[in-house]
Amino acid sequence: MPEQQTITLTVNGRVHTKDVATRTSLADFLRDQLHLTGTHLGCEHGVCGACTVTVDGRSARACLMLAVQADGREVVTIEGLKDPAGVWHPVQKAFFENFAIQCGFCTPGFFATAIELLGQNPDPTEAEIREYLSGNICRCSGYQAIVEAVRAAAAAMQDHQRG
Amino acid sequence: MSGTRFVNERMVGSSVLPEEAIPLVEGEARFLNDISFAGMFHVAFLRSQHAHARLARIDTSRARALPGVVTVLTGADLLGKVEPFTSMPNRFSGGQSTQHWLAVEKVRFCGEAICTVVAESRALAEDAIELIEVDYDPLPVVTNARDGERDGSPLVHDTCPNNYLIRRDYQSGDVDAAFANAHLVVKRRFQLGRKQALCMEGRGCVAAWRDGSFKLSMWMSHQLPYVVRHYLAKHLGLSETDIRVVAPQTGGGFGQKASIYPEEFVCAFLALQLRRPVKWVEDRLENMVASTHAREHDIEVALALDAEGHILALQSDIWTDVGAYSTYLWSAGMEPLQTGGLMPGPYQVKALRYTTRGVATNKTPVGPYRAVGRPSASASLELLLDQAAAELGIDPVEIRRRNIIPQSAMPFRNGNNLVHDHVGYMPCLDMALAKSGYPVLRKEQQAMLAKGKLRGIGVACFAELTGLGTSTAVGPGTLLQPGRDAVTLRLETSGKLTIAAALPSQGQRIATAMRQVAADELGIRLDDIACLTNDTGMAPYGFGTFASRTAVFGSGAVIQAAGELRRRILAVAAHIMQTPSEELMLADSVVETVDRTRSLPLRQLAEHSFFSAKDIPSEINQGFEVTAFYDPKHGSFAAGAHVVVVDVDEETGHVEIVRYVAAEDVGRIINPAVVEGQIIGGIAQGVGEALYEQLIYDENGQPRTVTLADYLVPSALEVPHIELHHANTPSGALGGFKGCGEGSIIGALAGISCAVADALRQRGGDIFHFPATPERVLRGLGVALDDAA
Repeated sequence: MPEQQTITLTVNGRVHTKDVATRTSLADFLRDQLHLTGTHLGCEHGVCGACTVTVDGRSARACLMLAVQADGREVVTIEGLKDPAGVWHPVQKAFFENFAIQCGFCTPGFFATAIELLGQNPDPTEAEIREYLSGNICRCSGYQAIVEAVRAAAAAMQDHQRG
Repeated sequence: MSGTRFVNERMVGSSVLPEEAIPLVEGEARFLNDISFAGMFHVAFLRSQHAHARLARIDTSRARALPGVVTVLTGADLLGKVEPFTSMPNRFSGGQSTQHWLAVEKVRFCGEAICTVVAESRALAEDAIELIEVDYDPLPVVTNARDGERDGSPLVHDTCPNNYLIRRDYQSGDVDAAFANAHLVVKRRFQLGRKQALCMEGRGCVAAWRDGSFKLSMWMSHQLPYVVRHYLAKHLGLSETDIRVVAPQTGGGFGQKASIYPEEFVCAFLALQLRRPVKWVEDRLENMVASTHAREHDIEVALALDAEGHILALQSDIWTDVGAYSTYLWSAGMEPLQTGGLMPGPYQVKALRYTTRGVATNKTPVGPYRAVGRPSASASLELLLDQAAAELGIDPVEIRRRNIIPQSAMPFRNGNNLVHDHVGYMPCLDMALAKSGYPVLRKEQQAMLAKGKLRGIGVACFAELTGLGTSTAVGPGTLLQPGRDAVTLRLETSGKLTIAAALPSQGQRIATAMRQVAADELGIRLDDIACLTNDTGMAPYGFGTFASRTAVFGSGAVIQAAGELRRRILAVAAHIMQTPSEELMLADSVVETVDRTRSLPLRQLAEHSFFSAKDIPSEINQGFEVTAFYDPKHGSFAAGAHVVVVDVDEETGHVEIVRYVAAEDVGRIINPAVVEGQIIGGIAQGVGEALYEQLIYDENGQPRTVTLADYLVPSALEVPHIELHHANTPSGALGGFKGCGEGSIIGALAGISCAVADALRQRGGDIFHFPATPERVLRGLGVALDDAA
């Protein structure tokens, strides 16, 4: 395998073509080469979920994926969650309004996972939310405000669709 | 965010949305690892693979030769240039430990830093680490406190006989007579494993040479920026005025970021030597072995009681495995002293005796972590109260009622010399029982048992001394005796208010809380108030955020400073408006006459007083910047009572929390939603402490839990829904505030432990060692397990 490779990928709607070291993780690529530092590294072995981003519509651990594996794919990070008018995603709004953010280091990963959940299940129960978020660790909140935020986001998104 | 508010609407007590969280929502917050400078080098550390060994040979030549490597340092390179860490209190017996920033001659725990590499990238620095050759001569290891204490045990430090880093023998009251005359004496053993704060963001720093007028600027993920500045100056031979320390956005602290560690100080040294910015960011594997651990107690506790179940005396013998070094600055005394001294909690204990030891072992040093000492102290006593109640044939709740310090007895000086006042232990217990429907819970437990299902109920009451002032030490005998903190209030020429304090946030929304207090005290709109809490370049002197102190100190200092600032504002307004100041009021950022016929916006007043100052006599126009220090003296006791219901699976040993009710007294609340987050977050860490989290070492001192796959942090599935209720009694501190960051973890460990033991007792079993892993639960039920399992 060559040590350097050129990749083209879409991140938050923008196409980037970059030379990357083949050993560079997607997380390091996003942070160091695209300066998208909103993606956080909590464990670098795929357990804590802080680095979770969206790749082709599915959540992915950016610490366990190489940048070269994202070649040709579409990545969304926390910086890309606002709509084109700059309005927060309902999940962002709900986390803020429900005090679901304390230190905020794990938050980007929870956003990605929660958005994926609500895409699959627009009206999840508390148990379903807890199950789906169980791959993301938050050390501050005790999860209660996060669960409430996801329920609030679900309600807001359903209202929006209806109305 | 707060929208329009009306005159006299109070901000304190309202769940004001935290503006400070907006950068976190948008992914634009700047954590330590998000800070970079042109020409910045990256630092990595070679860490010991042995728990105890002599360093026979270190060869760094291949690492130095790697292209992109700037320099490699060993401990010998720092000798004589920097002062190592020595932090033992000398009030009690125990030896001194000296910790070199990079190991010299010996290593004493797996993970201890031996060499540092500076390179053009972190990846290159880590590549170079791989090229360093170290020959170790292994030495015998000490891996637990009881073995380490024995005569003839290997010594971690030659200066510490019996490996004592601290030992204290304490007695008040006639303990021997109480035990001799007791109707009942109960005893038990309580062991709690070693754990990790596990901040989602590890430690790290950027050290920059010549930043503005400072020789050294440190961005550091830390809870105590001024303390760091003081000790950087002391250890590097600089003046404090040469140094600026900033705590950027910080991803959790929990006490782990309240100690001083070698790595950041090595980085500061490197920045000064290389005259270049350097960055070090701890990875998770480093965090698991090189950032302080917590707890690890082995306690033998005994109670003497009369026939009605009143406590006559409490005695404990405590061994804390404090690891290889006395943590700088808090020392090895933190856990052992607080576990012994605070064991009485909310109960009347007139005769108290304890012997407590901090024993050095070849493991990572133990440092401060949320509610130091109290969870083990409380769980020991609560489990013993349940045992005593069973022997006396009374309900566990009843024995607590008979011993709790009632408000009618306050102020009440307990056997540990602490004065309890302005705290409602009984109201918390009453509320927790009422909200949980305790009698029904007991009936349900029996109904479950009849169906062959094992259920346990735990009731735990706790006291948490917060906001410790000059009259009560955080850690007796330690180098750091914080008792005062300051806030500066400055009315800007725009009429906006800046609050500055050295009380950094690790997620507690301190800025929002301080803004709320200032808004009420001054009558300035919340939207017109900013708060900076993290920068020694801007803040008045202060100790920092730890020990549930910031709400008490910060608010008290805001209230004091606000009084003087308001006086100055109204004096200037009186001159401009030609009205006596006592006929003026300040509300909604406007000075008005009390009859509300004339007004002067603060913006105009502030601009006028500065830019057209010649109109106003200088003796009136004293400047709109006020600094006030606040000392809450004895501190404020917070309290709580938790009722926990668990189901135990007798096949698997699995414990499930099925109900969790908490009643808390956290004094006057500034921001209810923030407080709720603190309390529930503390309970979640207590769930981990009681059931899952433990750092395991093998007999050679090798850590076996260095990833998050091995070290089990509770997820959303393990933490139950918490039913939280308030039974608040305002404190005696200014504003009536108490701290709330730590207390709930005490109730969680004690409550869950009692619930598990209560379940096992239904089958004649018991449990003495926590966390209550499935294996320990099964053993507690008398199941014979293969020892290798």
